[in-house]
Amino acid sequence: MQFGPIWRALMRNKTGAILIALQVAVTMAIMVNAISIIQTRAEAMARPSGIDEPNIFYISSIGFNDAFNERVAVEEDLAALRAMPGVVDALQTNSVPLSGGGWSMGLQTEPGDDMDGVGVAVYFVDDHALDTYDLELVAGEFFSPTDIEWREGSSSTWPDRTVITVAMAEALFGEDEWRSGVGKTVYINNNEPMTVTGIIDRMQAAWNGWDGVERTMLVPQRTLFGSSRYIIRAEPGLRDELMPQVEEMLAQSNKDRIVRGLRTMEETRERSYRGDASMIKLLMFTIGLLLLITALGIVGLASFSVSRRTKQIGTRRALGATRADIAGYFMSENLLISGMGVLLGAALTVGLNMWMVDAFDLDRMEVWLVPAAMGVLLVVGQLAVFGPARRASSVPPAVATRTV
Amino acid sequence: MLSMQNISMVYRTDTVETHALRQFNLDVGEGEFVAITGPSGSGKTTFLNIAGLLEKFTSGRYELDGKDVSSLSDAATSRVRNEKIGFVFQGFNLIPDLNVFDNVDVPLRYRGFNGAERKQRIERVLDMVGLASRQKHLPAQLSGGQQQRVAIARALAGEPRFLLADEPTGNLDSQMAMSIMELIQEINRGGTTIIMVTHDPTLANLAGRNVHIRDGRVSDSDADTQLAEVAVG
Repeated sequence: MQFGPIWRALMRNKTGAILIALQVAVTMAIMVNAISIIQTRAEAMARPSGIDEPNIFYISSIGFNDAFNERVAVEEDLAALRAMPGVVDALQTNSVPLSGGGWSMGLQTEPGDDMDGVGVAVYFVDDHALDTYDLELVAGEFFSPTDIEWREGSSSTWPDRTVITVAMAEALFGEDEWRSGVGKTVYINNNEPMTVTGIIDRMQAAWNGWDGVERTMLVPQRTLFGSSRYIIRAEPGLRDELMPQVEEMLAQSNKDRIVRGLRTMEETRERSYRGDASMIKLLMFTIGLLLLITALGIVGLASFSVSRRTKQIGTRRALGATRADIAGYFMSENLLISGMGVLLGAALTVGLNMWMVDAFDLDRMEVWLVPAAMGVLLVVGQLAVFGPARRASSVPPAVATRTV
Repeated sequence: MLSMQNISMVYRTDTVETHALRQFNLDVGEGEFVAITGPSGSGKTTFLNIAGLLEKFTSGRYELDGKDVSSLSDAATSRVRNEKIGFVFQGFNLIPDLNVFDNVDVPLRYRGFNGAERKQRIERVLDMVGLASRQKHLPAQLSGGQQQRVAIARALAGEPRFLLADEPTGNLDSQMAMSIMELIQEINRGGTTIIMVTHDPTLANLAGRNVHIRDGRVSDSDADTQLAEVAVG
């Protein structure tokens, strides 16, 4: 390699090289920060909800006249749903994970209005919740049938027990002490005591963008809110077959209500992360476009350089350069230009990330992204310059003796 | 040193065949200084390209330094050019973005010499052509004569067995031309075989032998430099 003379020659004719280096630097800064955002979003999207998403669907039942007895309807509906062939289990609840709408409260370990509570998503469930959601109980006990109460829409009191997620237990009792939460009393509405009877591994809240999305509590109550949402878990492979059957059964079993909102958990997840998925696609497109533009810039500069230096290439060939030497010259030249670009880009990337973290409250990028992006851009540069370099290497040495 | 037997060179397009060299024969001995003359289009440049291994010929046999070079690979041809042949071009062909030192360094790097060896060789040849103090100058900062001296230094730095000069004084005024010719003669006296293509009868007279080319063939050759007897046209 002849980096010394190539560098000195570049420095005497540097405008094009500097522009390409700047382009590489800007591309790198945008690329790395975009990848960092993609990473954050993709990680969020990949978080397990804690429930058996592929086999779960849900539907709402809303009474529309005075003849509708919600309590009776819920009991009959649940009995009918649980008896349907292909249904693993079913329950009535107030909200669906990742659906965007739900309840939240605050729990605290000490009573008192002046104590800080820890935000928690609330699901009203019955003793079938473990089977219906396929939750994993990791400590304590779950609700028994006798624990289940009815909750009116106007009620502001809470039952005496709850089951919480590990994340909520960690937030309340400490990361290493979460198991000790079983049997302890926590306070809702500042002063109402509830005993933590069990802890489940994981169940996400309704809001995927909430930083406490893993903090959830289950409350042993069925609701009488006028609108019931039934969660149904099908046996593997039977979900799509069951969905219309469930809808039909509910519609026919009680004419005083309407059923609507039949939806799978998978669709709910897709809807929940639709914005993130679109953002990822847009950012990936932007990265691809920037890389393409940068590569085209490199191709353009190298092609111009080859055309401008045809005689010089012929002379080098006459003086003993092999085809590989000529190709190597242009590849090395690009390596220097791209090298300048990625070094500048590294600084620019870090600066942009610091600003974005500050301005948009984003996660700090992972450090390994910088050397990885440097490598990618150097490879892209080498690939882009390969064509022009090959063309240069095919310039015949006889060009050296041509006078025009 | 150089032996060409029945060399033919035909350039073909879809419709036209141009015979640049026809059954061309030439032998040049070790240490000779041969001038190649001829009118425009006679085949001088084609001869120079073939002699310098810049171009493949259509048929015939070419031996350089006792070896048949007609079937060498591109890389092997490059190596022979680098090690055995020095080129001096009419337009100097210096690389404008490199200074004098780096220009002379070009063939030495392809040769694979280490840094110390290259430096020693560059300084020696620049001293020989009288430009030791101009190492850091760019070609544009030198006169035409000085640029050609740099080109000669570049050609000589690898200590080639023979030097091919293509109208080496074509772009110089008469005073500079004579100075360059004196340098070339001096190089020849040092033992380097020289083949020089030129239009100028006066310069050709300075060679040990003159070969006149017409229509792609050697039309006349003398050993006593009587160029007037092989007058152009």
